[in-house]
Amino acid sequence: MNFIALKMLLGDRTKYAGLLFGIAFTSFLVTFAASYFGGMMTRSFALIAENPKADVWVMDPAVVAVDRPINLPTAALDRVRSVEGVQSAVPLALATADARFPNGRFQSFQIIGVDDATLTGVPLMKDGATASVLRAPDAVIIDPGGTSGKLQTPLLKADQWPRGGPHLDVAMRPLIAGDELLINDTRVRVAGQSEALPRFPPRPLLFTTYSTAERILLPERRRLTFVLVTAAPGVDAHMLAARIEATTDLHARASDDFKSDTVKWMVANSEDVGDAVTMLSIAMLVGFGVTGVMMFMFTTENLKYYAVLNAMGATTRSLLLMICAQAAICALLGTGLGLGLCALAGRIFVSYDFPYRMMWFAPVVGGTAVMLVSIGAAAFSVRPLLKMQPASFLGGR
Amino acid sequence: MESRVEPIKNQTGVSCRGVTKTYGQGNVAVQALRGVDLEVRTGELLMLVGPSGCGKTTLISVLAGLLQRDDGDCSVLEHDYKQMSLNDTTRFRGRNIGFIFQTFDLIPALTAVENVATPLLINGVKRRVALEQADVVLKKVGFDDRMTTSLPKDLSGGQQQRVAIARAMVHDPRMIVCDEPTSALDSESGHLVMDLMRQFALGKDRVLVVVTHDDRIFEFADRIARMEDGRITRIENPPKRGNEPKKNP
Repeated sequence: MNFIALKMLLGDRTKYAGLLFGIAFTSFLVTFAASYFGGMMTRSFALIAENPKADVWVMDPAVVAVDRPINLPTAALDRVRSVEGVQSAVPLALATADARFPNGRFQSFQIIGVDDATLTGVPLMKDGATASVLRAPDAVIIDPGGTSGKLQTPLLKADQWPRGGPHLDVAMRPLIAGDELLINDTRVRVAGQSEALPRFPPRPLLFTTYSTAERILLPERRRLTFVLVTAAPGVDAHMLAARIEATTDLHARASDDFKSDTVKWMVANSEDVGDAVTMLSIAMLVGFGVTGVMMFMFTTENLKYYAVLNAMGATTRSLLLMICAQAAICALLGTGLGLGLCALAGRIFVSYDFPYRMMWFAPVVGGTAVMLVSIGAAAFSVRPLLKMQPASFLGGR
Repeated sequence: MESRVEPIKNQTGVSCRGVTKTYGQGNVAVQALRGVDLEVRTGELLMLVGPSGCGKTTLISVLAGLLQRDDGDCSVLEHDYKQMSLNDTTRFRGRNIGFIFQTFDLIPALTAVENVATPLLINGVKRRVALEQADVVLKKVGFDDRMTTSLPKDLSGGQQQRVAIARAMVHDPRMIVCDEPTSALDSESGHLVMDLMRQFALGKDRVLVVVTHDDRIFEFADRIARMEDGRITRIENPPKRGNEPKKNP
């Protein structure tokens, strides 16, 4: 009977194409939305991800996500270092500051102050440079952090540091090593550009040493944001985090747990999550609309033949299985097409630096959505079959 | 339930007494059958004739187990549908009854041979075997290799009805029910189709019930049952083959 179901499905090419389109569209949109969401969430914990040496992150007990910093007293660093099982502990300062560009424009940066001694926290550098460039006086490393066109300076010397008003409409070029910026009236020198993971929400990043950060940022009683801990060999990160919490009264999270905390906070608080859910809902509705209507039309137009098959001995169960087989074939092919399109679109999006990342759950969410849509469409379309009179085809009707 | 009925020659295939059937209820009720008495023997071709709305189609629907009668007794191949579940009735139809329809009702997406194989596939025969058997039956009704793989849209009306005949016979049913099998065909094709039906469909001990308006084919019947107002009013012998057919009253 599946053979007949398949032939009937493939025989009506227009509706078959419509069904496939509906399901592929649903699969594509749902998987794409899930992947986009995955990309945004991955970027939300980029700072944690690019510090793989930090097994445990120590912070103020009120901190719930990596981007919601509350600073610690400087003494916290020594308290953490004194805990058994800690191999090394280095400070990391996070802050936001406006930098004045040579043409007079102001740009907000996330300032990341890394340990002066180890420079832990500086990502990979462009053009073969190393983090040690930060050892020069007033040196900073800049990074677009997922933005584009925000790290530019006037092409001509004459347009830089102008007297009077800013020169905003002059020819520009990207910032390079040797260019200077002003942060809180303190001059810093660009020492290089890094290849940090893009951030969500995107914003330019400025890496510098902890001591330079203390100097260029407005004075605060507390400057230390995180203590990055490397566990001693053989010490479990989760156990060490629990021990640090118990010993210091600070909040300590193993790296993976801190990532999860950050994602949960984003899911609960970010408006972008609402946008992703809206996109998913629209995809499901459109998919169900197209697929359900096509499936219903397909079944209704073939009702006469289902009645003939029923007269010839096909039970209602067999006929329902035929419809399920047709829906399943469309679902499988549609899902495959949708996922393929999604992967293709993903490549294009990634090349333009959009936050797209197809993680394991994206195809699962897409497949589940397609399954729901297909079951819904099949259920919608079997109604006329269940109400069908097998004698209806007699008398030339 | 064993639903396959073994053939017994010249036995009563269908026996109905006082069969009634009413559609709807109350003021809109229509009594389609008002006490039908009918007996059809195996090896016999019975034609049911009568004006539109007299209950012919309702009667063959009841005989084929597509409609449940309201009252009366009816035994088809020694089975009473009222004693059977809906699924058992459907399976019984699948094994014992073949259908030929006015508009052929071939499945458009299937080739001729696949259409013919359908009853076998429904009865659980493997696809390869079913297609082989269907091919043999199609050849019997005059199809060549090219035509067996044609889609219904590429066949003439007469060819489509031959496919329908092959489909009705392929699983060797004990009863074949035909609903206006020649009304969509010209006279020549109609005669060819009826010739085939007599030649192949009646070749075994089988009950053949044909509903028709077409007096051009009355000569192919063994007996003709005339219906009016939901009753069989007369059973008559057909005109001799080759004679001018009687006019339908």
